[in-house]
Amino acid sequence: MIRISCQEQLLPGRTLQEKYDVARDAGFDGIELRGHGGFRFRDRLPELRRAARDGVPMPSVCVDMPHFFAAFDPELRRDALEQMKSQLSVIAEIGGRGAVACTPASWGMFSRRLPPFEPPRSEAEDRAVLLDGLAELGEHAARVGAILALEPLNRYEDHMVNRLEQAVELIEAAGLTSVRVLADTYHMNIEEDEPTSALVRAAAHLGHVQVSDSNRLQPGAGHLDWAALLSTLDAVGYEGYLAVECRLRGEPAVAIASIPGFLRRHDARVPA
Amino acid sequence: MTALLERPRTHDAVRDLDRAARRVLLTNWRGHATVPAARLYPHQWSWDSAFIAIGLRHLSPVRAQRELESLLGAQWRDGRVPQIVFDPHVPDDAYFPGPSFWRSARAPGAPGVPTSGIVQPPAHALAAWAVHQADPAASRGRGFLARVYPRLVAWHRYLTTRRNLTGNGLMSVVHPWESGLDNSPAWDVPLARITPVPGTEFTRRDLNHAAAGERPTDTDYGRYVRLARDYRDAGYADSLGVHAFAVEDPLCNALLAAGEHALASMAAELGLDGERHRSAADRLTENLTTMLYDHAGGVFFPRDAHSGRMLRSYSIGGLMPLIVPGLPVASELVGTALGDRFRLRDACPLPSYDLSADDHDPGRYWRGPGWVNTSWLFWHGLRLHGEQALADDLRDRLIDRVRDAGFREYFDPLTGTGHGTDGFGWTAALVLDLLRTP
Repeated sequence: MIRISCQEQLLPGRTLQEKYDVARDAGFDGIELRGHGGFRFRDRLPELRRAARDGVPMPSVCVDMPHFFAAFDPELRRDALEQMKSQLSVIAEIGGRGAVACTPASWGMFSRRLPPFEPPRSEAEDRAVLLDGLAELGEHAARVGAILALEPLNRYEDHMVNRLEQAVELIEAAGLTSVRVLADTYHMNIEEDEPTSALVRAAAHLGHVQVSDSNRLQPGAGHLDWAALLSTLDAVGYEGYLAVECRLRGEPAVAIASIPGFLRRHDARVPA
Repeated sequence: MTALLERPRTHDAVRDLDRAARRVLLTNWRGHATVPAARLYPHQWSWDSAFIAIGLRHLSPVRAQRELESLLGAQWRDGRVPQIVFDPHVPDDAYFPGPSFWRSARAPGAPGVPTSGIVQPPAHALAAWAVHQADPAASRGRGFLARVYPRLVAWHRYLTTRRNLTGNGLMSVVHPWESGLDNSPAWDVPLARITPVPGTEFTRRDLNHAAAGERPTDTDYGRYVRLARDYRDAGYADSLGVHAFAVEDPLCNALLAAGEHALASMAAELGLDGERHRSAADRLTENLTTMLYDHAGGVFFPRDAHSGRMLRSYSIGGLMPLIVPGLPVASELVGTALGDRFRLRDACPLPSYDLSADDHDPGRYWRGPGWVNTSWLFWHGLRLHGEQALADDLRDRLIDRVRDAGFREYFDPLTGTGHGTDGFGWTAALVLDLLRTP
């Protein structure tokens, strides 16, 4: 069986336990947390520990901040690095073996497709910042026993890392197995020549997968070839979660409940 | 899958082979079609695509549909589906004969994309129906059958009219490469009449990837080039006058007959009358059996369209009519397969040529070794004719062969040694189908 998690903000319920009850009934296997800045994710530790004790699987956290580890501004960059290290420590404690913290290089900071088109920092400087950040975060991840997953975003949301092969190249240069690639089906649909070929080539470094359809809506609402995508993930031996990160069309509870069944319809695994 | 698990084969081994097969299909996928092998065969091949689609349907039904749609998108106006659809992004000299040899753009009714001018065995209707059945909802949603059915009908019409060279109701292949069994000893006699083009006039590319001892000789290659050049220079017209080589061959005619049954099923699905396909299938089956079946040999032989003589060579093509529903001599064919020439119970894949013949060569292209596609067709035929135990046994041994030797192009049928290219598309696709067919 493929394992599917759902980001927490999509689920109804006052507590993580209530949210997981809904998620489990719909066929999800876990919850992907959102990691806010200002150490607010760390401040949730008592709540997260209670949820973990009550058996809520929380294998990953997705960063939810206005600035990221490759920000142009050195102070914001420093803060993002500290936030990510904190999030890695927290998820390592409550996420169990192979817990993942996700981050893009940046989000909403600059796009080469929108004015003024030329970023204030050169590509070489971008690369140096990215490699420094990945080294610092990767070492911390290895120390606490978690995985840092670097997420390529589409060209309108980030100008530095758009395709899996770019993330792989940086990760190989960083040389740390604690840093892996995050494949997001929505961004891949925009950026990759052929998403399944990109997954095959990135397979050795694949650490996390987020799913939404071609239009950012729930899987099944767009035109992605889910059979091909899920069969590819199985064929390359990906054993992590598919974390649902999407917007919802229709009544939210109904939309959410449709996702596990839809994805499992395309589960390509050889039955045990 | 349940049946598989009852065998002494661990779940992990099945899963690993299944995954490896899908990795081959993913690696060979070019965004609209699948190449048979990344280096040796870097374009889309016609009957390869049919077999590949049969496996791809287990990876993605939509992708399998696109595989066939992209091939049929390169159909000529006269209905022919070309043997090769060239990828314009691949250098012209990557494969010989390439686009500059065939010059399809100058031929009337050729498509916008460069292709070769000959054809390959018509396995496409069978494949299209199998692809539809894998996910009828996805097929209906995309209008798959509505799109491919008229093209498949035109394809069969080309073969049953333009290629009915003798007028006796069987199609002819006009080049050994059209037969699918390219270098088969069955073609030696009609090929001997052809004057080879001197080796100085062309450059083979196949020898860059395989040992000369496993490939056709230079003399035969010169004959292949002669036939292709003459066809091209005649503007790809079809007649016994143009085609110095013309053979009514059991494999192609059997695929046509089986394909007409598939077209009848498609017609029913589309709300059309399938009667004309059922009568075409009956006619083809009758002609095949009365004209090409040899009772003494218990096998079908090809017939030289020029001389009218049977080409009495025991090749795997002679067993292929087992895929025809209602074939009156099915049990005789199974008997022949079980005999010394093909040794169905232990040789695997089924040998391309008579194991008991003096000139059987277990390593040379279509002169002895076994291919997975012809074995898959025979497996399909065994199931069709109620030989479930033999079918299951053949399937198990095919799976084991490939697990041991890899996704090779062809195999020594007795030792299992792999030959030709690795990562071969239809080997992976058909093994996936064998693994996933209940």
